[in-house]
This record gives sequence, structure tokens and C-alpha cells, in this order.
Amino acid sequence: MNGQPPKIVYHAKPDLASPGRLLREIYRDLLFNGRELAWRLFVRNLRGMYRQTVLGMFWIFLPPLANTAIWVFLRSRGVFDFSLTGPNGSTEVDATLYILTGMIIWQGFVEALQMPLNAVSSNRGMLSRLNFPREALILEGLMDLFFNLAIRCLLLIPAFIYFSGSLQWGILAAIPVIGLMMLFAVGCGLILVPFGTLYHDVPRLLSIGMPFWMIVTPVIYYLPNVRPTNLLNWLNPASPLLVASRDLMLFGATEHVAAGLTYGLVAIPVFVLGLLVFRVSIPALVERMVVS
Amino acid sequence: MDNEQIILEVDRVWKKYCRNLRRAMWYGVLDIASQLRSSRPSVPPKDMLRPGEFFAVKDATFSMVPGECIGLIGPNGAGKSSLLKMITGLIRPDAGQIRISGRVGALIELGTGFNLQLSGRENIFINGTVLGLKKPEIARAFDGIVEFAELGAVIDDPIKTYSSGMRMRLGFSVAAHLRPQLLILDEVLAVGDVRFRMKCFQHFNNLIQQGTSIVLVTHAVGMLPRVATRTIVCEAGRIVYDGEVQKGLTIYEQGLVEQANRGGATADQHWTNARILSAVTVDEAGYEKVEFESGDDIRLRIELECETEVREARLIAAVSSPGAETIGSMATPFQEFYFDLQPGRLVLELTLKKIPLLLGAYYFDVSLYGASLTDFCHRRTGIGGFRIVAPAIDINGNGISGLIRFEHSWRTVSP
Repeated sequence: MNGQPPKIVYHAKPDLASPGRLLREIYRDLLFNGRELAWRLFVRNLRGMYRQTVLGMFWIFLPPLANTAIWVFLRSRGVFDFSLTGPNGSTEVDATLYILTGMIIWQGFVEALQMPLNAVSSNRGMLSRLNFPREALILEGLMDLFFNLAIRCLLLIPAFIYFSGSLQWGILAAIPVIGLMMLFAVGCGLILVPFGTLYHDVPRLLSIGMPFWMIVTPVIYYLPNVRPTNLLNWLNPASPLLVASRDLMLFGATEHVAAGLTYGLVAIPVFVLGLLVFRVSIPALVERMVVS
Repeated sequence: MDNEQIILEVDRVWKKYCRNLRRAMWYGVLDIASQLRSSRPSVPPKDMLRPGEFFAVKDATFSMVPGECIGLIGPNGAGKSSLLKMITGLIRPDAGQIRISGRVGALIELGTGFNLQLSGRENIFINGTVLGLKKPEIARAFDGIVEFAELGAVIDDPIKTYSSGMRMRLGFSVAAHLRPQLLILDEVLAVGDVRFRMKCFQHFNNLIQQGTSIVLVTHAVGMLPRVATRTIVCEAGRIVYDGEVQKGLTIYEQGLVEQANRGGATADQHWTNARILSAVTVDEAGYEKVEFESGDDIRLRIELECETEVREARLIAAVSSPGAETIGSMATPFQEFYFDLQPGRLVLELTLKKIPLLLGAYYFDVSLYGASLTDFCHRRTGIGGFRIVAPAIDINGNGISGLIRFEHSWRTVSP
């Protein structure tokens, strides 16, 4: 409020005419100007979301627990079977722990991919009436994602102790890998924002496609690093970071280092590209919110 | 105007829209793609329109200095909200530039960001942050906000238990305690009861005195003279007037009259035996004139055309205003004025002596009948529009206001 009044210019020139300035503005709005708002929205949603429920925050755990229960049940009935031997045939893990770990990471990936579209859609009113740092919505979404993931990971601690008798140090090594996976998914989700906000087919397709995507992702089965099965890891962007992080958590090592590293390195540029697309597209989307 | 002092400068701004949803979606994809390019060829605004598009704002230019309050008025679809959304940075201009020097606070809708499950206290902090206030600023203003909203007793209750008026007061109160250099208000002055509204006006006047500039969009134009220092009138995307408040209001009302004329034109097409060709207000010499002062004589010249003879015809002329509908009506038999219509044309003149109307735009509804009201010939609505442009009205308790200027006097009498 003090000092020189800010100078603001709105014009029709493309934002990317000065990409450096645009990136600086995004960085400033994401990490500084939007931080307080993101925190307040995060706390507001957290307080408001479970206030009128009986199960409260248990709803955070329920989706991966329910999914795990289904797949463990199907496996116990012999509907499908697979080896749960780790890299180099070294370790064998319990099926419940293996599937639960995969489900928790997969759930995080799905929510991260859908988060940007959901953030725009559930804040249409605010977006079309108030000029606030738009990136605050993304920051708030990231807080939500990591909070939910952290709570779910707490579930893994008793599960690890019960099923395998100990906790692997690999859990710590898996944290940055999971973080990169989430950034990659959020980046892809941000790139989808213009299309998904204008054409409601996109979020519908996403929700229909997710179960199929899960089948072709090694969430409930083990993926050996031999051709041609490991190609799935390269062609399916959901796979390499998920497999690598789960391997690290369960076995302390992974066979899929190359694919994991490649997608890990790609995650940050994809996230930055997503932020650019998001920033540039919001005014045009707000215009259409007015029309529709 | 000193360039150093200008807080808002709208410079040749254009904005286009598309009403067709499917096209608008596709154009959205194209627009975003063009924003992702590093450069774009410059196209003159007139060549920008794609199929199905129209200009909501055309070549808007104005500027304002600290302490000004502009009332931005115009009929629906005039481009006010688009202009406001561009000034607040919600949408981009398609051509032109908007420059702002200072912190902007915008109040497009009250209570944006409220969570009904949470208490008034929690929502004040959330709403304040959404509107751009920092935590210490909200904490400092908290007591003032609660006091202004008059919600001290219920501030810790969930706001889903509040009435809609209480929610509005809370939203307004948070926004009213923003300390921006430029405050944008869109249709938010219809808040609460009359007493609370007066309190809001007082608050705005204080802000203006402290140098805050306000852009105010409202259809409730009657309240504008309380706060506005200038009016901008928009019509069909263009700024048609920028200047003194009361003149702006009459031009706005005149626009409403013309809009009503266009709407009534279809219904006015049916006639039997004779019809009303035109009705215009004229001066003493018979020349067309539309601006008068309160107390002037107003002459309405009505031209009739007859196809088949109408005996003992009668005319009824009603003076109306967009806000108050019919103010007064007069029929020819009342003054024992009788006339017959023979095939051909006839011009009649109605004189309203010492017109007691105050500032505003007015028009006539004229009906033509035969000897009885069942012998309907023709009716024209919204014709003969005229404006009363003086004297100035005052709604701050120092002068005259309303529609009618009463001849009056005051004196003291013994109890």
C-alpha cells in the first residue's frame, strides 16, 4: 500500500512478446502475491469440505482403501495373479501392501491431473468477478494435493510395519520422485485447462478414460524391465515415475532408472509450460464464462 | 489534464464478443493460440470481426484523476460491464490500451469467495484476502468491518444462518474497507435498507474526499448525484457523453426513451381511418426543440393523416418518463376542444404551460379516437421526446429534487 503506486497496463499484445517478463510475473504471483490467498483458500476448503460429513477426513483415505480392497479380493479369488518379486528377484512383498502403495500413488496422479481443470471450474465465480493472482488457485490445488497425499502416506506406515515388519528408507527417496510425478501431472492438467474449460468433453473424457489408463499403468501389477513390456513405461507417461517411486518405497531400488529419470527431468519444463498456458488462457476463458 | 495526475486512462479501447456459443468456444481456442505466439500482425479494429462477432465496446476513450467519481451508465448491452471488466483486468481489450497508476479495488459482486459453512469472522479474513488485503491489514480493519456491517452479535455464527441482507452487508463492508486508489463498483449500491445505503454513500464520499477515484456502474441512476462528480453515458458500445452528472442522466433517459420507441414501433403500426404521423416538441417560432428548462412552455406539434372522415375526433396525450411511466395525461374534450378529421393532413399543437417537471428525459404517448373510446384510430408511444436540463437538482438536503417542481413557500406560524 505504501511507496510508488503500481503501474498497470492492459493491452491486446500477446503475452509471449516478452516471455522473460511473463515468467517473472508468474513466479511472483505463484510464490509471493498468491501465497496468502492460496493458504486461506486451502484452509477454507479444508474446514468447509468435511464439516457436514459423518466420516470427516476419513474420506481422504477411503478411495485408495476401497480400490485396494477390491483388487486384493479379486486376487485372492484367483481372478488375476502376478509375481510380486522385486528388482533382481530379491524381495517379495505382500500383495495388499503392493496394491495399496500403487493405489495411493495412482490416486495422487489422477487428482493432480484433474486439479487445474477442477480449480478453474469450481472458482468460475471468483475468476469472472475478481482480479487476483490466478496462480493462487494452482498453489492452493498443490497444497490440497500434497496434503491429501501426505495423509494417505501416513496410512502406509502401519501397513508397512504390519505386512513387511519394517519401514524402508526408500520411502524418503521416493518423496522427490512422487513430487516430480505430481508436478508432471499438474503440468499436463494445466495444458488441458483451455480446452477443458471451453469444451466440457475434455473433463468427461478424462473421467471415463481414467479406469482404462489405470489398467495400462502398472498400478496393481509388477512391470519387469524387459522388452517389450518395459515399452509401456516409455509410452505411458503415468507409468515411469509411479513405478520408480513404488519400487523405491517397497524394495529400496528400481530397475526403471532411465525412464524414471527422463520423465523426472521433463516434469519441471512441462509444469512451467503448463503455467504459461494457464496464465495466457485465463482472460480468454473468463470472456467465455461471461458469454456462457 | 496533467498526465502525472491521471489515475486511469482508457485509450481507444475496443472489445468484441460472439453470441454464438459454439463459435465463441472455437474463437477462444484461436485467441489463446494467438496469445501464445510471440508477435501478431496489427489489424485495424474494424477488420477484426469474425463471423458472428460484434463490438461490445467501440473506441472508448476517457481518463480520470484522483478524487473523481464517474457514474458509468447506459442501457443493457451498452458495453459498461465489458469496459469495467477490462479496467479490472479480468478480460483483455482487442485493441487499445488501459493504463492505471495505483492500486485497484473492484467490487463486481458482493461476497465473492464466501463459504457458507464458516463463520462471519473466518469469512472476513477469506474475503479480505480474495479482495487483495494482507492479513495484518484485515486484522487492523476487522473491528471497523464488523461495526460497519452491524453484525457484532453474530460474527462467530456460520454465515449460512445470516439473511441475504446480512450477507450483503458483510460483503460490502469488507470491500468498503479496502483502501484502493481506484475503486470499481458494479451494481452493488442496491445493498440493504435505505439507512445502510445512506451509510454507504457517506463512506464513498469520505473515500472521494481522501482522493480515491471511483468508477460506479448502476441502473439505479437516481442515486448517482449523491456521489458522482461526472457521468459517462454508453450506448451500443460507444461513449456518447462524458461530462456533468445531471446532463448525463437526461441523455441516458433520452436513450431509454428512444429504446422504448423502437420497441413500441411495431405495436404502433396498426391504425383505422386516421393515424398519428408525428409529434415533436417545438419552440415559439415552431422550430423543433428538445431541451427545455423547468418552467418553460412546451409545445407539442402533432401531425395527423386521415383516410376516411372521422367526426368529433379526440386526442389523448400523456407525458411519461422512463422511470415513472405516466406522469400526467390530457384529452381534448377536457378543454372542450373538438375537431373533425377530413381526408388529408391536419396539424394540432398542444401547449403545456410553465412545465413543472425537473431534470430528466420525458416523452409523450398519444392516442387518437373517434367520438367515443370504442372508435379507436391509432396510438403512438414514446414520441415527442424532450429533456429538462435545468435547474440543477440536489439530493443532499439543500435544494429541490424528484420529478415535479412544486410552487411552494415556507413560513413559521405560532404553535
